[in-house]
Amino acid sequence: MAPGGLLKQPLLWFLAIGLTLFIADSRIPENRDEIVITPALRDRLATLWTTQTGLVATEAELNSLLDNWLKEEVLYREALRLGLDREDSIVRRRLVQKLGFIAESETIPTPEQGELETFYRENIDDYTLPVRYSFRHLYFQQRTAAENALARINEGAAAQEFGEPTMLNPAYAYRGALDLNATFGAGFDGQLATLTAGSWQGPVQSGFGFHLVWIDTIHPSEVTPIEGIRQQILQDFQRARQLRARDAYVENLLDEYTIVVEPT
Amino acid sequence: MAKLSYPVSALACAAVLSACSDNTSSVPETPEVSAAPAPAAEAAPAQTAGYSALRNAYFGDLHVHTMYSFDAFIFGTTSSPDDAYEFAKGGSITHPAGFEMQLQVPLDFYGVTDHAFYIGVLREMANPNSEISRHPVAAGMSTLGGSVERGAKFQEILAFMRSEDGLEINDPVIRKSAWDDIIAAANRHNDPGNFTTFIGYEYTASAPDRGNLHRNVIFRGDVGPELPFSRLDSSNPEDLWNWMDGNRAQGIESLAIPHNSNGSNGRMFMLTDNAGRPLDDAYANQRMRNEPLVEISQVKGTSDTHPALSPNDEWADFEIMPLRVATNLYSEPNGGYVRQAYLNGLKMQAEEGFNPYKFGVIGSSDTHNATYAGEEHDYWSKVGLNDATPVLRGSVPLAEPTPEGELYRDTYYDTWSAAGLAGVWAEENTRSSIYDAFRRKETFGTSGTRMKVRFFGGYELPAADDPDMLAQAYAGGVPMGGDLLAETDRSPGFIAWVAKDPNGANLERLQIIKGWVDDGEAREEVYDIACSVGTVDPETHRCPDNGARVDISDCGITQGVGAAELRAAWQDPDFDPDQHAFYYVRGLENPTCRWSTWDAIRAGVDPHPDLQPTIQERVWSSPIWLTPAQL
Repeated sequence: MAPGGLLKQPLLWFLAIGLTLFIADSRIPENRDEIVITPALRDRLATLWTTQTGLVATEAELNSLLDNWLKEEVLYREALRLGLDREDSIVRRRLVQKLGFIAESETIPTPEQGELETFYRENIDDYTLPVRYSFRHLYFQQRTAAENALARINEGAAAQEFGEPTMLNPAYAYRGALDLNATFGAGFDGQLATLTAGSWQGPVQSGFGFHLVWIDTIHPSEVTPIEGIRQQILQDFQRARQLRARDAYVENLLDEYTIVVEPT
Repeated sequence: MAKLSYPVSALACAAVLSACSDNTSSVPETPEVSAAPAPAAEAAPAQTAGYSALRNAYFGDLHVHTMYSFDAFIFGTTSSPDDAYEFAKGGSITHPAGFEMQLQVPLDFYGVTDHAFYIGVLREMANPNSEISRHPVAAGMSTLGGSVERGAKFQEILAFMRSEDGLEINDPVIRKSAWDDIIAAANRHNDPGNFTTFIGYEYTASAPDRGNLHRNVIFRGDVGPELPFSRLDSSNPEDLWNWMDGNRAQGIESLAIPHNSNGSNGRMFMLTDNAGRPLDDAYANQRMRNEPLVEISQVKGTSDTHPALSPNDEWADFEIMPLRVATNLYSEPNGGYVRQAYLNGLKMQAEEGFNPYKFGVIGSSDTHNATYAGEEHDYWSKVGLNDATPVLRGSVPLAEPTPEGELYRDTYYDTWSAAGLAGVWAEENTRSSIYDAFRRKETFGTSGTRMKVRFFGGYELPAADDPDMLAQAYAGGVPMGGDLLAETDRSPGFIAWVAKDPNGANLERLQIIKGWVDDGEAREEVYDIACSVGTVDPETHRCPDNGARVDISDCGITQGVGAAELRAAWQDPDFDPDQHAFYYVRGLENPTCRWSTWDAIRAGVDPHPDLQPTIQERVWSSPIWLTPAQL
C-alpha cells in the first residue's frame, strides 16, 4: 500500500476520531512508554518497500516509511489502550485465525512407541483399498469385430494380432471404480466386476467402443499393510493430533471461565 | 471420514506400488505401461504412481470464485475455498438456490482464484458485528433478499467501489485474513499423485471504457506473497508484470492467464502498450515471461476467433459472448481474439523480430458458485441466485410477457456457455509437473468436454500409427506449445491425435488451423485432416457430412455415427520456408443440445428461437510455431 493510502483507511479514520474524542480524558503518564526503532524494523520496512515497488528505498523514503510506521504505532497502541480491538469482530476473527495457524504449526507431535499402530487400527477404513483390477485390453470400434477377434483367439490365434489403435494405455494396474469410469466412461467398473481373471473375455463396452479384457488380477478390497505407508499414517496422525490439540486448547481455555447463560 | 476414503485409498495404492517395486515378493503382474515404452535411463526424482515420461492428460479448472469474491458473495455464494476443493475432488455443494452440484468425474487439478480487490470484504459487511458493516454502503448487506435486491445492491456497491471513496472499504486486515485462508486451503488439499491445487487469485483490471483486462495469477509453490496485487494497486497489467517479476526475483514464481479477451473491447491483444506506445522487444519479453497462457473458453463465451475476424471459418460462430464483461456494451472483436493475436504476433516477429502473443491455451469455468459450470444437461451457470433458473437466464419464457411485450427476460446470461476445462500433458499429477507443463505451453483448452488432444511437429516424426509413436515423436519433434525451425528444402510433418470424452458424444472431425504472414498480410486457413466418415476433399479441405443429427424435442443424438478417436499425419500443402507460421489443432464433436435447449425441454417449452439449439463441443491445442530458416 502506498503511504498516502493510509489516509483512506477507514480503520485509521475511526481511530483518529476515537483519539480526538478521548483526548480530553487522557493524562500525560509519569512513565512514558518507549517506542524503539530497531535496525530490524528498518530492514523490514525497506524490504516491504522493495517488494511492493521493485525499488530500493532511499534514505528519505525510508525516513518517510518510519514516520508513517511511528504514527500508525501510536494510534495502534492508543486503540488497544481504549479497548477498540475488543469491539471489532474482524480483529477478533483475525486474531483467532492467527492463533489457529500458530497452534497448528507449533504443535507437530511425534508419536510414541505403538501410537502410530493404534492410530492405524482405529482408522482402518481410511487405509482399506477398494476392489481394483490389473488388466490388459484390446480395443475395437465395433462389437462384431471384438466378437470375431475373441472367437479367433479362442481358436488359438495370438491376441496381439488383434485390436485397433487407441490413445488408451494397453494395460492398467490397480484401477478402482472411480479411475475406471473416468478413463473408460461410466459403468465400466460394473462390467469388469462380472469377469474372471486369466482369460480373454468380453466384449466390454466403454465410451470409446468395445474391449476384450484379460484380467491378470482382481485385487479384493484389502487393508494396506502398515509398513509401506508409515509416512502417510504419520501425516494423518499429526493432522488429527493437531486438530485434537486445538480442541483441547479451547477446552482448557474454557475451563478458565465460568459461562453464565442469562435467561432469555 | 467416508468422504476421505478415496484420496486416502489412492495414496495408499501409490504406496503399495512403490512398496511393491522395492519388494520382489509381490511384483504386480501387469505393470502399467503407456502406449509406448518410456525412454530408458531417464533419471527422475521421486515419482508418484501415475508417472509417465510420455506424459498423461490431466484436466482442471483454474478459475474459481468462492465466498471471498465481492461479487460471488452478493450473488449468494457462501461456500469457502475448502468447500470448493472438496467439490473438485468429488464432493457436492448445495447451490444457493437449493440444488446439489456434483461432478460426474472429479478433476485432477484446481485453483481457487478470488478477486483480489475487496477480497473477503462483502462477506464481512454482512456480519452485523463487524466494524465495516457500519459503513453506509454496507446497509442491508446482512439481510440480502432475492436476485432483484441482490442485483440492485451489487450495482450500488460496484458504483461505490469505482468511486474515489472505494478504498474506504478495501480493508487490509479483512483481505489478509481471506488471503491466508485461501493459501492454507490450497496447501491443505494438495495431494501429490492424486490431486493438485494451486494458490491463485484474479487480478480484475478494466480499461477506462470497461474493456476487460482480467487475469488469473497462479503460483507455482506453497508460499504466496503477503497480499495479492489488485486493480487498486494499478489497473495497468504492465504493473502487475513488474510485481510478478519482483516476486520472482525473491523466489515466488507465478504466471498470469488473461481471460475473456472476447469482452475486452479489443484491448487484450492491442498493438500498443497500455499507454499507447508502439510495442517493443522489452514489452514482448516481459509479457511472455509472465503470460505464457490465455484462457480460450469459459462460461462467458469463447475467445478462439469471431466470425467477423475469420469469415471463412465455418465453425467460428461458436458460443460468442458479444459484450464487454459485466456490461451491456458491445465489445469490439478486433484485438479481442486469440487467433488474431497469434497472427499479429507473427507479423511483429517477421517485421520487427519480437512476438508478444506467443502463448498457449487453456479453458476454465469462472464459476462464482465455488464449483464448476456444470454440463449442458446439468447446467449451473455461474452467478449464484442471479442466473439460477432457466427463466432468469433467458432460456425459458417469463410467466407473463413484459409490458413491452418481451417473452423472455432481457439478459446477457443467454450468451453464456457450459464451458471451460484446462488440459495439460504432464508426467505426473503434482504441482511442479503440471506447472512446468503450463510454462512449456503443453496445454489445451476445451469447451467443457474431456476430449484429449496430442499434437507434434518436426522433421523426424514416426508414422502416425507407429506403436512407438509417442516416444519417437517426443524425440524427433516438438509437442504443442513448441517451436520449429523450418528447413529450406522440405516441409515439416505434423501428427494430430484426438480422443473423445468417454462420457460424451463421438467425434466429427479433426482440423489444423494455420496462420501465416504473406507479404505483410496476415492469412489463415482451416484444414480438415481426419474425418469420422469419408476422406478430406483436397480442393476444399473439408470432410463430408457424417450425418450426425440432434433431435431437438428430446436431445437424442444419432447413434453409431462419429469416431472414438481421430489421428492423422499431415503436411502443409502450402508450405513456404520463407514464411512465419503457426499451426494448432481443433477437434470437433458431433453436435449435441446446448444447455438452453435442455432447459426448455425440461420445462416443456420450445427452445428460445434466438439461441443456438445445438453446439459442437470442441478442443483447441496450443500452437506449434514455425520460424523460417533464413531470416
